[in-house]
Amino acid sequence: MSTPSVGIVLVSHSAELAEGTANLAAQVSGGTVTIVAAGGTDDGDLGTSAAKVEQALRDADQGAGVVVLPDLGSAVLTVRAVLEDYGSAGSVLLTDAPFVEGAVAATVIAAAGGDLKAVAAAAEEARHARKL
Amino acid sequence: MPANCEQEITLTGDLHARPAGALAVAAGRFAAAISVTVGGRTADAKSVLGVMGLGATSGQHVTVCAAGADAQHAVAALVAILSEATKVGG
Repeated sequence: MSTPSVGIVLVSHSAELAEGTANLAAQVSGGTVTIVAAGGTDDGDLGTSAAKVEQALRDADQGAGVVVLPDLGSAVLTVRAVLEDYGSAGSVLLTDAPFVEGAVAATVIAAAGGDLKAVAAAAEEARHARKL
Repeated sequence: MPANCEQEITLTGDLHARPAGALAVAAGRFAAAISVTVGGRTADAKSVLGVMGLGATSGQHVTVCAAGADAQHAVAALVAILSEATKVGG
């Protein structure tokens, strides 16, 4: 489709977790959505990086906005700090969602052409999905 | 006038993550409400987690049901995906 899809940013304390989740979500959704992993500190340790998050937001925005999924509480602090100074914060939605399930659900809705609100809602509703 | 459409298909492979994703992405592009039912359990076809949660396996019968203006097209598209995508493991 010609219209841009909502971008996804995965913020994890672990670079491997962010990359792996991005890879999984891309595979499940068919690879048409821009998913950017922002994991680990600038030195490659466990933690989060404001610089990585900011760059990820810019890379993920294809014109339809960005949905951000943090893995654990302090990733939320980093994202909020970045958004305070981020130029187009209005086009970014920070979601309260399970990391893996939320990333997969959000990416599928983005691939289907869902708007920013619909993609964020899919991420948050993922907490109610049962696996068994 | 909303149309209703229903069709059954027998899976030739398990409904793993990738086919479930392909199904949900396709379903999300239709306006119709679409459900998939397997072994008495029903999921919203537009919810990839719901579809994966069905745990549908090879040989099971899946009923695709849609209601809305584009229901016929939706069911045809999803049945085609189910028959193709479940041929290989996801």
